[in-house]
Amino acid sequence: MKSAIPTLFAAATLLVAFHLFSGRTAAEETNVASIRFADHHFTPQTLTVTAGEPLAVKVINSSNETIEFESFKLNREVAMTPGETITVRLPPLRPGTYDFYDDFHQDVPEGSIIAK
Amino acid sequence: MKKRLHLIVFGAVLLIPYLRPGRAMAQVDPWEFEVYPYATESRGTIELETDNAVVANGHSKGGEGTAAGTFRSQGMWYNQYELTYGLTDRIEASAYLLMASPSGHGYWYAGSEYRLRGRLFDPETLPIDLGWYAELEWHHTPQFDDADIELELRPILEKDIGRFSFIANPIFEKVLKGVGVHEGFEFGYSTGAYYRWMRYLSPGVEFYGGAGLIDDTDPLDQQQHYIFPVIWGELPHGVEYNLGPGFGLTRGSDHVIMKFNLGLERFVGAIFGPSPESGWFL
Repeated sequence: MKSAIPTLFAAATLLVAFHLFSGRTAAEETNVASIRFADHHFTPQTLTVTAGEPLAVKVINSSNETIEFESFKLNREVAMTPGETITVRLPPLRPGTYDFYDDFHQDVPEGSIIAK
Repeated sequence: MKKRLHLIVFGAVLLIPYLRPGRAMAQVDPWEFEVYPYATESRGTIELETDNAVVANGHSKGGEGTAAGTFRSQGMWYNQYELTYGLTDRIEASAYLLMASPSGHGYWYAGSEYRLRGRLFDPETLPIDLGWYAELEWHHTPQFDDADIELELRPILEKDIGRFSFIANPIFEKVLKGVGVHEGFEFGYSTGAYYRWMRYLSPGVEFYGGAGLIDDTDPLDQQQHYIFPVIWGELPHGVEYNLGPGFGLTRGSDHVIMKFNLGLERFVGAIFGPSPESGWFL
């Protein structure tokens, strides 16, 4: 039996491709903020950012331990070796509070990004 | 006249093996009721995962429902162990051990699988986050699958909107050795929508299915399609879980399947250095 599924899938793929190549990348027009990890805690513990604008958070691991910078609400998870710096790109955030923590060390105090 | 009738009956008997449907289509992998996200395992991190599915209400003959071999699906426990290592910030490697316990027939080795999976670019670089998945499946276990070696390819598409994630894995599978080697690619899918409610407990809904060969799909009632309402999250000590009941949506599907997946990750040390931020593949 011939089914419409492959045709529908091809159409969906074309739509996605069109969206990909016609869309503005979210990396453009991005605000940058920084979080540093040292002495077993994040600084600042609370990061206030502007809601509704794309954001890049630079995370610096200044400690001598490997951490996993993770945010459940923001769906981000990155392991970082000592001395490593990463950039976490985020879409425009709705006003609210978003968690972040070190998933490798449950005793590290949780931080938060507040979008206003 | 009687001799001619005998010839017709003899000819029909010879044709029977060729009249049966092709191989039991395996685009629905019952060992792996899992939707793969865009994110890969962090570099240097290892994850041990066990994926389990028990067919609570299935089919009574082999080759039907999720059973692609000679054992029946009713009462089958599909039990998979998966070891994943984050090679780079964008690529992970996995090895799988497939086991099964057909109802009343003990505990069996059912195959092994080897896979590479990656993400393209960094999150939020493209309007939809894209990834890729390439897997070699090694069976040689006709009790569970009549194909010996298979190749499975999946593009991975993910879009996060607020606290919702929408993920699609279209599946393209080709038999490289065994029954079905001369046929083309089969098409299946695993896809899901998830809401990040609480770190420890969140809801989602997943869909799995297979349509048969791309250029000659099975009749709809012979295809398998499932819906799984799931709960998922991370328990203390970093134990991640995803579980829920699955309901077959067609006659060819098993009727009820319970799945429960558990995973635990630990950092063991990276082989490679950080991936370049401007990179898109490695």
